[in-house]
Amino acid sequence: MPEPFELHGVVHLVRPIGYRAHDLESLRVGIAGASAQTLFYHAYQPQLRYSAVTDLPPDDFSAWVNGVVQDRETAERLSFAVQHRAGSCAELRDALVQVLLSVPEKARLQRAAPDEGDFVFLEMDSVAVETGRYASDSVELMQHLAEVEPVVIFYHLVEQPWLDPERPSLIHWVEKGGDRRLAEWLRLSLMSGLPLEEGRRRLMRRWRQSRLGRSVAEATASPEHERREAGRRAVAGLVRRITQSEQSDDPGHDS
Amino acid sequence: MTLVTIRSDGSSLLEGYRRTVGQRTLTVLERVARRLKGHRIVMVNSTSTGGGVAEILHRLVALLNELGVPTTWEVMPGDARFYGITKTIHNTLHGWPGSLSPEDRDYFHEMNRRAAERLALDGDLVLIHDPQPAAIVAHRRRPHQHWVWRCHIDLSRANPEVWEFLAPEVTRYDAAVFSHVAFVPPLPIPAYLVPPSIDPLSDKNRELSEEEEDALLDPLDLPSRKPWITQVSRFDRIKDPSGVVDAFLLARKREDAHLVLAGGTADDDPEGAEVLNEVQTKVAGRSDVSVLSLPPDAHLTINAMQRRSTVVLQKSLREGFALTVSEALWKRRAVVASAVGGIPLQVLHERTGLLVRSIEGCAFQITRLLRSAELRRRLGQAGREHVREHFLHPREACDYLAVFARLIERGI
Repeated sequence: MPEPFELHGVVHLVRPIGYRAHDLESLRVGIAGASAQTLFYHAYQPQLRYSAVTDLPPDDFSAWVNGVVQDRETAERLSFAVQHRAGSCAELRDALVQVLLSVPEKARLQRAAPDEGDFVFLEMDSVAVETGRYASDSVELMQHLAEVEPVVIFYHLVEQPWLDPERPSLIHWVEKGGDRRLAEWLRLSLMSGLPLEEGRRRLMRRWRQSRLGRSVAEATASPEHERREAGRRAVAGLVRRITQSEQSDDPGHDS
Repeated sequence: MTLVTIRSDGSSLLEGYRRTVGQRTLTVLERVARRLKGHRIVMVNSTSTGGGVAEILHRLVALLNELGVPTTWEVMPGDARFYGITKTIHNTLHGWPGSLSPEDRDYFHEMNRRAAERLALDGDLVLIHDPQPAAIVAHRRRPHQHWVWRCHIDLSRANPEVWEFLAPEVTRYDAAVFSHVAFVPPLPIPAYLVPPSIDPLSDKNRELSEEEEDALLDPLDLPSRKPWITQVSRFDRIKDPSGVVDAFLLARKREDAHLVLAGGTADDDPEGAEVLNEVQTKVAGRSDVSVLSLPPDAHLTINAMQRRSTVVLQKSLREGFALTVSEALWKRRAVVASAVGGIPLQVLHERTGLLVRSIEGCAFQITRLLRSAELRRRLGQAGREHVREHFLHPREACDYLAVFARLIERGI
């Protein structure tokens, strides 16, 4: 494996960029001129912002077109463009603009928000936060990913690869360590727009299943007392996970 | 003495939050706090008691100190004349008519200059709250300091003349922080959005036992066998209490329920008393509506009332942020609210609550919720989690620290 990988979190500060859309045409103009941080904030950050929601999180563009402008068809098509997340900022911008251009210009101007319902373009400013967690191999990495807060997963698997594709990412690090299958799973885990916790659950399930065969094969070659000890550790780990999950489900214990 | 000492009953505030909101919510806050190791924050506002800002600061200052970021709180001194001027500034920034005379302007600056001399502003990170102390920056700024102005006011309808008076002071800051995007005026400095938050440990939001709830609610003589539809708001036309009654009466044709309209007493607000009177007249003779005028410190009663309600309404015609919505969501209540002001940030339609635009829409959603315990449970659960992540004090503290971390990093 290469050098240990340091996991980071981020705090997203948000600020208005001073542009508002009142109808589909001004939305198109805004998207065409928006920065990568702005497009990312409105298209993909809802995945983190609404991580508590179990349903597919809506992107801000289609949520506005659907809920405020009430143009369901265009909203659906914008949703599709975001969900099938074009791999880069330029591709996403192009996909969104194409959806809006497919609406005739006159209709783009007519399909407007009511008073005070404008879409306000915002820009995301990420402040990096150290987690103090390092992974030296895939096993350690997956242990960390099972425990870290959602924002750490979001940053490494969604934000950083999309906003800064040239910089070596967590996925590159896993690939460099030779675990191409895990790298692919990491790449796919959240890129489908799944709610964060659901994406994490699926990733962990896949990972554990993949380890099962290897663990059984290794165990058959071990002496009896080691197998017994491994079994004891597995049960203890299971109990710990169940307890942690119950605690984190509802620390308030309210009625 | 201007320094406010934060009292502690010996219990750890951080521990209280950890028990209430969970470790996961606090982890990021603790990490951002570590980034500010070696720095010192000074908060400044104009009162240590009364008002939402003082309430937040009591908790925030204690919390930041526990997190290892030394934080002090300075209260700007003033006199009756100064408070009269700042009241005018406050009201006109909210869109009320009024203006400042040249003498008022001079006195405002003079009091800020005096405050700059007297207050202990020796931290390297200074967070000034609201307009009253906004001009201190002109007199006390040191080269190594980062100054941030936190505006808790809705400036969307600000009197232009008064804002033009204040704006040159605001532009002296490194950044400004606003509660909602609609409140942000054009500024040449970075303007960040930090939504306000509720305190899960306060009387208004803390957990209550069934016995406590009974003791608080029994004197109100509300029917215990019917589901309650509740709106907690001051009696003000923009909160649309009349529309609430109309929506309830439409829903009541389909499902049995009891409407509770609870608001603050309106002794110092003639229009409030008028609105209260109108509502009372409108529901006179009805046994399925209770109009309650509560004292300003009835936090525990409001808490109990929200917890016992089947549906909580916020059918405002206009709003600032409407934290009553977060209060209800935190208690896992099903919320029906208008899509105005900061409400859509809290109520994600069909996910954490239901947004409405009309009396009929409101009646329809009330009926829907009364008929489906499963829908109420689903919205209430998601609503609580949404508030846990976005609208509790630890998140607001985290955002302030992140703003400072960003300014330090960029050497602004």
